[in-house]
Amino acid sequence: MLRYLAKRALTYAFMIFLTTTAGYFLAVSTLKPALLEQERIPRPTPEQVANSFRLKGLDPDLSPWERYVDWLTGILTRWDWGRSPNGAFINAEFGDRVWISTRLFLASIILTLIIGVALGVYTAARQYKASDRVITSYSYLVYIVPAPIAYFLVQLGAININETVGERLFFVTGISTPGLEGDGWAQFIDMLAHYAVPTFAITIVGWGTYQIAQRQYLLDNVNADFVRTARAKGLTRNQAITRHALRVSFIPVAQSIAFTIPAIFAGGFFAEKIFAWHGVGSWSIDAISLQDVNAATATLAYGSVIFAIGAILADFATTLVDPRVRVQ
Amino acid sequence: MSSEMTASAESSTLSTAERLRVAGLHAPDDAPADAVLSIRDLNVRFNTENGVVHAVRGIDFDLRAGRTLGIVGESGSGKSVTSMAVMGLLPETAEISGSVRLNGKELLGLSDKAMCRHRGNDLAMVFQDPLSSLTPVYTVGNQIIEALTVHNPTMTKRAKEARAVELLALVGIPSPKDRFKAFPHEFSGGMRQRVMIAIAIANNPRVLIADEPTTALDVTIQAQVLEVLHTAQEETGAAVVMITHDLGVVAGMADDIMVMYAGKPVETGSVDDIYYNPRMPYTMGLLGAVPRVDIAEKTSLVPIEGIPPNLVHTPTGCSFAPRCPLASDSCLQGEPELWAVAGENLDGGMPHKAACIKTDSLGLEVDVHEIFRAPAVPVSRFDAIPREERRTVLELRDVKKHFPLLKGALLKRRIGTVKAVDGLSFDIREGECFSIVGESGCGKTTTLLEIMEFHKDQDGEVVIGGLSNKEASDARTKSAMRKELQMVFQDPTGALDPRFTVFEVLSEPLENAGMAKAQIRKRIMELMELVGLQPDHVNRFPNQFSGGQRQRIGIARALAVNPKLVVLDEPVSALDVSVQAGVINLLDKLRAELGLSYLMVAHDLSVVRHISNRVAVMYLGKIVEIGDVDAVFDNPRHPYTRALLSAIPVPDPALERTRERIILEGDLPSPLDAPAGCNFATRCPVFAALPPARQEKCLTLEPPLEPLPAPGPGGTPAPPTDQQFACFYPDGELDADALVVHETN
Repeated sequence: MLRYLAKRALTYAFMIFLTTTAGYFLAVSTLKPALLEQERIPRPTPEQVANSFRLKGLDPDLSPWERYVDWLTGILTRWDWGRSPNGAFINAEFGDRVWISTRLFLASIILTLIIGVALGVYTAARQYKASDRVITSYSYLVYIVPAPIAYFLVQLGAININETVGERLFFVTGISTPGLEGDGWAQFIDMLAHYAVPTFAITIVGWGTYQIAQRQYLLDNVNADFVRTARAKGLTRNQAITRHALRVSFIPVAQSIAFTIPAIFAGGFFAEKIFAWHGVGSWSIDAISLQDVNAATATLAYGSVIFAIGAILADFATTLVDPRVRVQ
Repeated sequence: MSSEMTASAESSTLSTAERLRVAGLHAPDDAPADAVLSIRDLNVRFNTENGVVHAVRGIDFDLRAGRTLGIVGESGSGKSVTSMAVMGLLPETAEISGSVRLNGKELLGLSDKAMCRHRGNDLAMVFQDPLSSLTPVYTVGNQIIEALTVHNPTMTKRAKEARAVELLALVGIPSPKDRFKAFPHEFSGGMRQRVMIAIAIANNPRVLIADEPTTALDVTIQAQVLEVLHTAQEETGAAVVMITHDLGVVAGMADDIMVMYAGKPVETGSVDDIYYNPRMPYTMGLLGAVPRVDIAEKTSLVPIEGIPPNLVHTPTGCSFAPRCPLASDSCLQGEPELWAVAGENLDGGMPHKAACIKTDSLGLEVDVHEIFRAPAVPVSRFDAIPREERRTVLELRDVKKHFPLLKGALLKRRIGTVKAVDGLSFDIREGECFSIVGESGCGKTTTLLEIMEFHKDQDGEVVIGGLSNKEASDARTKSAMRKELQMVFQDPTGALDPRFTVFEVLSEPLENAGMAKAQIRKRIMELMELVGLQPDHVNRFPNQFSGGQRQRIGIARALAVNPKLVVLDEPVSALDVSVQAGVINLLDKLRAELGLSYLMVAHDLSVVRHISNRVAVMYLGKIVEIGDVDAVFDNPRHPYTRALLSAIPVPDPALERTRERIILEGDLPSPLDAPAGCNFATRCPVFAALPPARQEKCLTLEPPLEPLPAPGPGGTPAPPTDQQFACFYPDGELDADALVVHETN
């Protein structure tokens, strides 16, 4: 098992290196932070800009290859991912961003999975009954509605509630009230007020995928021959389904869940933008609009790592639930 | 739950059983006292989009402990639905009426939960497909224990484990203690079916239903599993219901037979009554439609024209009348009931009854071939010419196909070789049918693929109609080769494009051959007639035809370009018995009329014997015996051929009961483990009985394919035959453990 993991990790490390390198060259040849500097007032001279960038290790006069070598040497020798045009260190920024994304998504992803899989099982057991039709139609609806629109609708709803009550119950943006004073309880209430809206929004949009998948896979299995065998042994239909069909139908779902978990840390652009939580997702967008080569490459590299972890986790999850698959 | 005949207003408050009694029908009391399972007037209806399908229309039978009832019928005759209704495993939408009593207790109408006390306890079932019937994510031990836990909640874990191991040993799983923890995918099909049987008999059921338990298995494995079922019945004393379409399988096992057609029993009786004295034209046709593996017969098979009725419309007359050659107007006046057939009921089994108004005139002296107008045996113009003087249409010289077995993700290294086909040589002459037989995995299909491949780089030479793959394998030679050789596939439904009309299916090869439009039309009409289809059906789509008709379309497509040789890959194995006979007769006729040669691959040795002139028996990529079909089947020399032939059940109860069977140990070994000497040594019953000194030869030397040794000076001169086999000790004693004889009961 360990040997397998090491082997897989090595393959993925190589792939991450390739994507990151390609990403760096793309970024360094298209992103020109110097142009943005020209818009400052008072407008700096090109020499001033070049000097300032040279100090931050972003010398625009060097060829892409030379910059790549510098950048790579920095990472390999000092684990230094460089600086942004505004002088901020990527390494420092990074930890904060990942933590914010994680906080934004952790609760909602766990809820999404639990609710999605549970509803999938529930609706599969009641196929074509009213409850199944309502829940499954809802899932398809959120499939169709673009996530940002759903987020906005939830935000509007929260604002409406606030207005009706006449008191600010929910915060629709931000992580916490800046400069809030008070004891732990007040801090906790503040946190809840900030968490409620984004968590709710992401959850109700997210579970549809899992509900549909779990329902589908379970329905494929409720009439399977082995469920019939289980019933022939003397298990009731429901027992046979929960003991035999559910486990088998969970195999593909477990795989997709494994891919989702690391995605929590990578964040999502829309949710972070709309709820103004400045995580990794929004950072990568900002990096491109601010012509920030190092930040853009760093988020790309991070995304690849997360993907690789997801793939390994998915393999791992499959071997865990399916004895037919064995690690070699 | 209603019985159609007693649905009067005042009886609506009575129970089903009482209503039946009021109507003077089968009161439950009429069941024999020792019957463990009594079924009365069982009806099953399904609501479908096309209307209500009346799948089972009134079944009655009593089953006593220790006895075996065989339910025989074609697909769609309602035999599986009957068993599922008894088990209470039909979907909730099914409408079931009548009475099913287990040890006197009514089962119909019980809730799923109440039914669970019986299922797996006193009523158990073995299903058809062992590959999908076990849950892939639990160990087999776990699945057996589950059956024990459900009905014996107080049993200790240790006792359950001991019982599970005991059951695995009983059904013949080697080293049951270790295999207890194995997962189903680590078992072969035959082993999984053994596990299914172990689960079924875990709680000593009173009734064991086996629904086509061996249909998905190879003949040698089928023989093993039937043996296990036999043991299981002896061990538990259960009554067995054996559902099958194969008249051979039940001949040796069953005491009573019920023949079903269109959801109704059409003939019931003891096994001897049904096989030796059938009184219903359908039963007679069914028996005549099955080729025999043990007799060199030179008659055509009995074809039953037409297809079973659609059960959305309740038949008004005899349901078999549209296909029955004896049908007259009186047959269409009401559906006949089961009439008692004159004769003694000797062993107290099922009384002999037949649902035919002409029963009494269908005595022993009636020839079924005459009734069903079986065609005369076609005579080919090649029959008169000795084989050596006929042209060779296909020749294989030392053809090999070895697959490297690789390991490693990026850098592959070879850890072994799978010798799928290992040095095959044979030839096929004009007008001849050559068959390859063997278990699945022996290399039959790979051989066909190698012939169709026809490439210069192949290992070995393939000569088709004088064209050798070694000389030229460019596109032009290949297309010339394809004109000589065409193929008919196993699954007629999968082999036809559902979006092509029959015309398009048939015109494609002709267009490819560059034929003019007008000619194509003419040729297609010819073809349709040739294969016995109506020419005006050419604009229909494949789904508008029955399975047998689709296979006829497949044959017509193969014949379109006038090939010399037709490769038949299991041509009838997807078809029902009655339909199969028609297709076999057609193949026989075409061979004679058009002077075709066939290369056939089939697992059904009875079909092979009926249709072939020559046969090759393959084992692990090698031919172990080859020769004239009658010579090989009547006088098999190789122990594997002997075992293979003895594994096939014959539709003759008296013979089945006394026949000595060779039951091979285990499954076909992985080609990787092939020993240096004889491939078959690991399973060989002769080898097992040899003294170690002589065993040495089998293990170290590879036996060559050689003709029969010249008869000794004292022996009678053997008739000239080209039979060859690869065994050092063809006359060796068989190991006593491999032999099974069932005493006559």
